[in-house]
Amino acid sequence: MSAAKNLRQPMAMGVVPGPFHDRIAPLNHRQGWMNWMGIAAPTVLDTVEFEYFAIRNQATVFDISPMMKYRISGPDAETVVNRLVTRDIRKVGPGRVTYAIWCDEDGNVVDDGTIFRFADGTFRLCCQEPQMAWLMDVAHGFDVSLADESADVAGLAVQGPTSCAVLKDMGLAGVEAMKPFDIREFRVKSKPVTVSRTGFTGDLGYELWMAPDDALTIWDHLMAAGHLRGVKVIGYEALEMARIEAGFLLPRVDFVSSQTHLRPGRARNPYELGLDRLVHLDKPHFNGRRALQRLSQTRPARKLVTLEISRDKPAHHAYVYHRGKKEVGFVTSALWSPTLKRNIAYAWVDAPYCFDGKDLSVEIYLQRELVWQRRMARAQIVDRGLFANPRRTATPPSDY
Amino acid sequence: MTWDAIVIGAGHNGLIAAARLGQAGKRVLVLEAREAPGGLMAARGGMTVAMLPTALNADVARALDLHRHGLSYGAPVATLALGAGGAVRISGREASGAGKAVAVAYGALHDRLTRQAAALGRMLMKTPPRLRDGGAGDLIALARMGLGIRLLGKDEMRDLLRILLSNIWDVLNDEIGDGPLAAALAMEATLGGAMGPRSPGTVLPLLYRMAGRGRLRALGGPDAVIAALVRAVGAGGGAIRTGAEVARILVGEDDRAGGVRLTTGEEIRAPLILSNAHPRRTLNDLLGVAHLDAEDARRARLMASTGMVARLDFALSGAPVADGGMAIPSGERLIVAGNMAALETAFNAAKYKEIPDRPVLECTYEAGRGLLSVNAQFVPCEVKGGWTDKARATLEGNVRAVLAGAMPGFQAMIAGVETLTPADIEARFGLPGGHWHHGEFRVDQMLMMRPFGGAAQYRMPVAGLYLCGAGAHPGGDITGVPGWNAAGQALKDGRAAK
Repeated sequence: MSAAKNLRQPMAMGVVPGPFHDRIAPLNHRQGWMNWMGIAAPTVLDTVEFEYFAIRNQATVFDISPMMKYRISGPDAETVVNRLVTRDIRKVGPGRVTYAIWCDEDGNVVDDGTIFRFADGTFRLCCQEPQMAWLMDVAHGFDVSLADESADVAGLAVQGPTSCAVLKDMGLAGVEAMKPFDIREFRVKSKPVTVSRTGFTGDLGYELWMAPDDALTIWDHLMAAGHLRGVKVIGYEALEMARIEAGFLLPRVDFVSSQTHLRPGRARNPYELGLDRLVHLDKPHFNGRRALQRLSQTRPARKLVTLEISRDKPAHHAYVYHRGKKEVGFVTSALWSPTLKRNIAYAWVDAPYCFDGKDLSVEIYLQRELVWQRRMARAQIVDRGLFANPRRTATPPSDY
Repeated sequence: MTWDAIVIGAGHNGLIAAARLGQAGKRVLVLEAREAPGGLMAARGGMTVAMLPTALNADVARALDLHRHGLSYGAPVATLALGAGGAVRISGREASGAGKAVAVAYGALHDRLTRQAAALGRMLMKTPPRLRDGGAGDLIALARMGLGIRLLGKDEMRDLLRILLSNIWDVLNDEIGDGPLAAALAMEATLGGAMGPRSPGTVLPLLYRMAGRGRLRALGGPDAVIAALVRAVGAGGGAIRTGAEVARILVGEDDRAGGVRLTTGEEIRAPLILSNAHPRRTLNDLLGVAHLDAEDARRARLMASTGMVARLDFALSGAPVADGGMAIPSGERLIVAGNMAALETAFNAAKYKEIPDRPVLECTYEAGRGLLSVNAQFVPCEVKGGWTDKARATLEGNVRAVLAGAMPGFQAMIAGVETLTPADIEARFGLPGGHWHHGEFRVDQMLMMRPFGGAAQYRMPVAGLYLCGAGAHPGGDITGVPGWNAAGQALKDGRAAK
């Protein structure tokens, strides 16, 4: 591993600077930093509204280098990846990416992430939480090599309606031909860049992967090319708004990994999370298959649902009630969506209320000049992923 | 020919499982890789690893009617603990030659441990309850054990709970002091495993061995036991094929075990498979990790299973005599250790993969054959530098020296010696670590944790596959209970599925 040369000295708060830090820091007027896997990541650079609207109206750049990245390669790589995740990876061809979850022996979700298939026997797993120990367990007895390349690959998410145009201006000829979840190799100023048409915003967007040593060169080139397309560097909070609109889940926020929960009964399975479509019980044995087979035949005890809530105040940390009296769940993520003009939230709701969804309300607490107000707002269950714009999948994308 | 069940391995547990299935009307095929049935008890084709079958469970023997199949039983074997200048003879609660005060203390300790063992006893022999997702029966079984312990009375319950996870070194030093008698008991607590007397959790194995209510000593030794079991299998309509090594357990499209493939490529089908092999071998090698969740594969891979016993046979040209002049009696069990400190010292060397200078020995002398059979304890399976000729010579020399110390003139009587190191046992019997008990016999691998958490109750992760060997509850020592219980569980599940 070449991790050692990429290690940097800690900053004051105990995190280390990421590969784009020297460029992000001067732009971070608020000096809002968070600890993302030990790396300094911006929360908000100036205002969250400005950054959010850039995602939906222009192009944004977000440093995703702190994501955990694992390379799985060798003759048995496909077998091992298929053994790891619940979906059938054999249906994902080389040069493609897919979203997947993986489960423990009880069928509870360990983590979710994206799987890049570079070639027949070469994969990259990209996820939030460290997974090396889990991968080693799953791969034991198979002919594969595993490598943690988190520190060896820098990543930038370029998301928003003008993202494709920015990349084209940057010299990525043919990027417009990439379909969603495609992977292509490019060169920028003779530096290799891997581009995937993926993202966490539900919008048109791409992710650029490169060596940390090339990170600043490519950043500068991207920023110069994107100047006239309104390219804007954003922080985590704006992305968080976009991901709720887009219907993506966040471990530790919307569910707890089966590897980190302490209290019994806190882990969650794919059926409870509403991720049934990611579980392919008809493929050869994979981790948790026997438990999932049983779970698939029973009704979940609760579900993570998307609620649309009346009026405009986001239902952060709210309880969910049935007929205003019986407490039947709680909210994990909440947002007043500026684009949709709808008040939405993810909530865990017990059976059977999560199925019929009738007579639900949420209890929202509002503090106005120190005085707390309690507001019961009507809620109804809607499909997840309310922001679904055709530009996300259009190929080639329009030249905004 | 179609079979209702296949048993992998014709060790005693495999034969007992096959016999029980046969009694229930199942057509059973037992597949044995070696040339003769018997597993570690097989004499033909080499020396018998398990030389003292003294623990056969009386209920199992009765249910299989082994008496009718030619097995007869003798009085419990006495243990002679040889020490400098004499021997202590241990038979039940009596310890003669130990000094009066020690003998009295031992009697009291024996009675107390026997009562405590009996309170655990039922639990130690039945299918262990499930702690998670268990049914009412599992709760009742747990409650019954709890009640048994409570009925010991407040003081004895407290004492049991105090010593249960403790080490035998402390308990015996408190009660009877160190010496040949304590060494013999500590040997009982640690035999076959990778724990010294000071290792925590060594009291429970002793209680387990004392709890075997109605442990039978078979006359005629291992050969007689195996011969009777072979007849019992035959009486139930079962067949035994030797020289048939299983390479794979076959799993069908329906995710059930459906047969086996031999190393010759031959495939044999049956809807029920019982494996008498080591849990790790059964799961990770025969079934294959591809059919396992990563957690189970990891547990099987990492379960403690470090064999620590070498087997030596000495052909003697004369009758051995103990230090002090007593002739070594034939057929009894000898412990040559001196004291508990010697056990711990021998274990210390083994921890660091070294052959101990003074291994501690369990032996039996057969006058008729002029043979002294020895289990040399705390000989590591994996030894520094490997099992070279030099290492083997060191082992033999060290064992001879220990024997010569307890039996003057022994060296001159040796007419020949045959040695099986734990590594030999591992290779010859396909037994990871060369471990007698198919997995360390310690508190985190006993009861509902045997062979590991989640895999108790004999059922393996793939439906139709059961573990029937010493790796399953209650464990090793030739009780026959794992095989008996596994077959019972398989039959019960079969009825439930109908």
